Parts: sequence; C-alpha cells; structure tokens
Amino acid sequence: MKENNCVSLVVNGKQLKADEGCSILEAVMKSGETVTDNIGCSGQGVCGSCRVLVRRQDEKKIISTLACETKVEEGLQVSFLDHLPVNHRQHVYKTNDWEGKSWNILQRINEVFPEAKHCRHCGGCDNACPKHLEVQKGVNMAAEGDLNAAAIFNECIMCNLCTIACPEMISPNHLGTYVRRLTTAMTLRPSDLLRRLHQIDSGEMTIDLDAEIK
Amino acid sequence: MAGIAYEQALANLRKSDYASPPELTDKQSLLKKYHPDYQEGSTQKLVVGANKGDACPTTLAKLLQSNAPITDADLAGALVINTEVLVVGAGGAGCAAALEVSAAGRKVILATKLRIGDSNTVMAEGGIQAAVGEDDSPQTHYTDTLKAGHLCADKKLVAQLAISAPKTIRWLIEQGMSFDREDTSSLSSKLLRKKPGGATRARILSFKDYTGVEMMRVLREAVELDERIIVWNRCPLVELLSDEDGNCVGGVVYDLSTHRFMLVRASKVILATGGTGRLHLNNFPTSNHYGATADGMVLAYRIGAKLREIDSYQYHPTGVAWPSFRLGGLISEAARSAGAYLVNGEGKRFIDELLPRDIVSSAILRECAEGRGVEREGKVGVFLDVPDLERRNPGILKDRLVSLSHLGKQCDIDLTKEPVMVRPTLHYQNGGVVIDENGMTTVPNLYCVGEMSGGIHGRNRMMGNALQEIITFGRRAGEHAALTANQYPAPKVGLFHLYNWQRELILSNVPTDVYGPILFPEYGNFDFHKEISLRTRTKHSVKSNNDSH
Repeated sequence: MKENNCVSLVVNGKQLKADEGCSILEAVMKSGETVTDNIGCSGQGVCGSCRVLVRRQDEKKIISTLACETKVEEGLQVSFLDHLPVNHRQHVYKTNDWEGKSWNILQRINEVFPEAKHCRHCGGCDNACPKHLEVQKGVNMAAEGDLNAAAIFNECIMCNLCTIACPEMISPNHLGTYVRRLTTAMTLRPSDLLRRLHQIDSGEMTIDLDAEIK
Repeated sequence: MAGIAYEQALANLRKSDYASPPELTDKQSLLKKYHPDYQEGSTQKLVVGANKGDACPTTLAKLLQSNAPITDADLAGALVINTEVLVVGAGGAGCAAALEVSAAGRKVILATKLRIGDSNTVMAEGGIQAAVGEDDSPQTHYTDTLKAGHLCADKKLVAQLAISAPKTIRWLIEQGMSFDREDTSSLSSKLLRKKPGGATRARILSFKDYTGVEMMRVLREAVELDERIIVWNRCPLVELLSDEDGNCVGGVVYDLSTHRFMLVRASKVILATGGTGRLHLNNFPTSNHYGATADGMVLAYRIGAKLREIDSYQYHPTGVAWPSFRLGGLISEAARSAGAYLVNGEGKRFIDELLPRDIVSSAILRECAEGRGVEREGKVGVFLDVPDLERRNPGILKDRLVSLSHLGKQCDIDLTKEPVMVRPTLHYQNGGVVIDENGMTTVPNLYCVGEMSGGIHGRNRMMGNALQEIITFGRRAGEHAALTANQYPAPKVGLFHLYNWQRELILSNVPTDVYGPILFPEYGNFDFHKEISLRTRTKHSVKSNNDSH
C-alpha cells in the first residue's frame, strides 16, 4: 500500500518499503539487507553487477535492467540474478591467434564462436540488453565477417544478460568484445604513438630528473 | 548551507554573459580556507605503526589503528593453498599485474572482494595520460605531474610513469583496447588528445567518455581467458600472513560464498585493492566504487608498511549535487576539458575551469559557503553549463560525452536545455603505501600498486594519471614479482606480525575492539567480526542438530 512518498515493492520474495525516487539498490541497502554481492559502481550503470528482472504492477512483461539505475515503484517485483556459473565460458581464444591471420578473420570468428551463424533472430539479446544495444545485428554482422560489428558493442558493459538470454549459447557480448579486441589489436597503429615509441626506444627521448621546474 | 533558489539561479544563468572569471591571485589561501584536507579537527595523529606522529583523516586513522578480527584459532583447519604470486584486487592494476605474472610463466591467484572488474577502473571516464603529441614529451609529462602535485611526489616514480606511458598505450592496444583518433577513417591517424586540468599540453587519450569501461572489459576478458590465472571472486583479503622475521609470506582470504577461510602461502603478494572513497571522509559523498574501503592499506600498515601523503585527498570538482539518488556520481573532467563552464547562482563564472582539481573544488565550495551556490530540494551546488557547451559545439553530447548524456537520462534532465548541478565529491586518495619503481613496499615480498600506493601524485593527481599509473606499475610489479618469486613457499607462515601490533595498540591505549578492514561501507550492513562469530555458532548449531538425530 502506498504511503506518503513511500512505496512497497518485493525484492527476491521479500516485501520492502522504500522512499520514492530512490533506486532499487538503495532500497535494498536501506532495508537493512547485507549487501556483499550484485553491486559495483552503485549508480553509474557501467559495471553490470546489479542485474535484475523486474515486473511492474499490473504488467505481464518482465524486463531485465540494472538495479542501481532503476527507480522503485509501487508494486514492483524484483529478482536479482546470480552471476553465471564458473564454467559458463564456451568461447576460448588467445590473442596471439590473431597474429598474421588477418585474411582468415571470418574463419577465426567461426572457429571461436561457431554458434554465431545459428542466430534464430529471436531478439532475446536485444530485449535483455539494459543499454539497448542492437545486439542481434552485431552478432549477425560478426558472423558474416563484417568487423563494423565492433562499433555496435561500443557501450557494452559486459553484464552477460544477452549471454543468459541466448538460446543458441552464442555469448553475444563476448563475441562483440572479441571483434573489438581483434580489430584494435591488429589495425590500430597511430602514427604519433609509433614515432614516440621509436624516440624512447632509440634513447632520443629521456627524462632528466634534475631539470629545473619553472 | 543555503543558496540561490534553483529557478532564480536558472533565470540568472540564462541572462549570463559568461564573462571570464576573475583571476585567482592567492591559490594557497583559497585551498587553506575551503579544501576539506585543511579543515581543522578533521584529522588526527597516528600513535602506532610506521607513520606514528603523522596526521590523517580521523575515519581513516581509526581503521589504520584497528585490530584484526581473526586469531590463529579462526584459521584452524582452514584450507591451505600454495601459489607463487598472490594478487589481491581485480581492477585495472590487479589484472595488469596478474597478466604479467602469468606471461612470465608463474603460478598466480587473483583474489577479489566483489567480482573481477568491479572496481574504480571501470568507472573512469576521462582518459589516460601519455605524451605522444609532437608538442609534448615525457619530460613535459614529468614536469606537469610534479607541479600539479605541489612538488612533493617521488621524482623517480613520476619519471617512470612518464617514460613508460607510451609503451603502456601500446600494450593496451595489443590487448585490444581502442582509442579515439583524430581522423576515424584512417588506421594510422594520430590519437585524439585532450588537455587535462593543470597541464601545459593536450595529453589525455581516451575512448569516448567511458575509457574505463573499454579498458576494464578488455583486461577482464584477457584475464578470464588466461588459463594460468586462477580468479577467485567474492574472496576479500582479511589479513596478510607473516613469518617470524616480519616478511610477508601470503594472505588470509575469506570466501564470502562458502563462509570459510583460505590460507594462501605465496612467495610474493601484490596488493591492488584501491582507495578509500567509500569511507566518506569528512562526510562527503563519493564518486567511488562500492568496494573502495581502504582494505589493502589497512592491512599493509598493520604488517609494517610505511605510508605517505595520507592526509591528502582529491575532491573531484564535478560530482552530481542533485538529484540525491545520484549524489556524488562523477561528471568527467572531459566536459570541462571540452569547454563547459562552471556558473554560480548569480549566473557568473567564478574560476578558470581548467585549473588543477583541488583549486577548482575549493572555488566551488567557496561559492556554496558564501551563498552564491544554487539550491534545489535542500541540495546546494553550482551549475555545469552543458546546454551552453552543446550550443557552441552542436552534437558534442551525442558524440563525445556519452556518459554525461546517460546521466542526463538517469536524472530526467534534458542536458541540451538544462544545466546539471555539481559539487565536489570525494574522488581519490593522493597518497598511500610507499613504493619503489617496481611497486615494492618497505615490507619484504609485499608490493602495492594502483590507488592504494603513494608517491606518484604528490598532493594532487592530474586527470588521466590514475589509469596510466595502474597499468604501468601493475605491470612492473607483476613482472618483478614473477622474476623474483620462489616456487617454494615459506616453510612457516602465521600471524606473527599481529602479536607485536596488538602489544603496540595496548601500550598506546588504542582500543582493541575496533576491527578492520571493514570490507564494505557501513550501509552495506556487513560486519566481518559478527560474520565470523555467526559462522562459529552456525557450525556448532549444525553439529548439535546432528547430535539430536
């Protein structure tokens, strides 16, 4: 029941009261619960730790979001999601796999993420993403060897919600990170950095600890 | 504290001519009068340990002089695990260290209190310093850093930072971290550079305004995919292990999932547990991650490590001042660096926005204290005029200040029309554990890197030097520890240092029933000392239940 600027919600099966305007995460802490997990940046929305499933009052739809940036509402039902089991990783690679193989990128992607081309276009990943990225589009592009997929995952916070949602076990966020890492490591060669590294390596540039400071 | 009502302040802002702020003639007296570090009564002198006689904030002093919550009896029957190197803390510094230990072929355990990557690194927005510009040099980076830190940093450490910085960027690119370029269509384009407050050259390299997200997701992936690194999530360090000579020989880790202790015997220990923001010194809000409770520093001090500049903290000028649910949250210096003005409730600019952070923060606190701040629902701050920045640089919010745009959405503020209210927020611990160029402390076998270490920033840190520091020194400590580690752990490990410590506490009349580290902030409702007693009781009650059957 709603009281003065106060709402009731259910978190992990437990009824809580909270001040309007506070986030789900704040509500949990203020209720006296011990918080040692599912927490990180506490509001900035960048660490992906406080993943929750949320159902609004009188709505059937369940959405996935971050508890630190979602405000409490009357009748909200919230379930925190546990982290993935330790052995969830299916897609293993080494960064030196990339060396000298830039013409085999498509093959490499398919070897490490063989499921990527099986995407069912169910949209589960898009719905799960709390940052509203075009995850499915990114997966499809990567599966075709289109490295522009990297940009789609620019704002990915690696919360793993798309990985949980994917029925084909594609791990879209890890695929996105793979493509991002690979393209950068193989192609980014800024001319100013190259020059400066050369100047330092050749001894042309050093530091004088005793130089006068004006 | 009162200020000019929000609506009135907004009207004043709209009439503003944005005239240049008055020139600051006396920096020292501004700092003395308004910077929280200088406030009378906020600090106390330590009476035990290697820094006896030095002052530090009262809240921190209590923890530095705290007692260990565990005794030998708690560790009876604990799992004992051997490794060559133990790294504690899985932010940028810890991950960089672990990757280097692994690259050298040594056994490494990476233990972290929350989850790998949950750290201040992921929250860093502005960027990372490295002198790559034609008009710039490592020498200039060195000089700027020393000057911004009020000339009291360790010159050797600063020189190491500046000369290593370009190589650090190369290493990050090799790991797959991306950086903004001047010309996005060219792969060999120069890196996009921004000017940090207090610097003489544009030296900040970045990825949008979420550089930390980009850095941390790459490092996290690199660590998780490295089969030689054993990662323990939810495993805070609760005490270091020592031998009879006072050497560090490992650590006691508590597994929060299984409620049990693990004794890690290690030849080298690298602490990378971060800073102190969540202690809310001087009752300030903080931009810091939930785990920033000074754990590593408390434990390093207890085993005998020397600290420096522990009375010097950075209050970032632009923390969110309203609404309250985002209070203290960071607005990156990237906004001011791009040209956003700070405007008081009277609609006037009052300080050169790109002066060093301690000065800009003090100036904001002065405006608030003298009634020229902006007041909204009891919160007082000044305006960061984002709409004006957007007017002068159309599209900048969408293209370059993505995190700031996101903040606007969180707070229901249309940043193209409405300014955001800011006030200094506790951001960074300038000092910390004394280290050498390899991250080694004064305690044998113990390394400290990242925010918990001291000497690199002097009494004020420049934007972008933190991300540079964690990678440069994280890697160096990892390399050095791997090179010098002994594959056979010390034969005798224990809590030998605690006996002397407790004797010292009693002789100095320091209460022995204050326990540390606290591991989580007060509002996390966690008390480790209670957790242990609960654990003991649970064990007994399970036993008696079994007995009754």
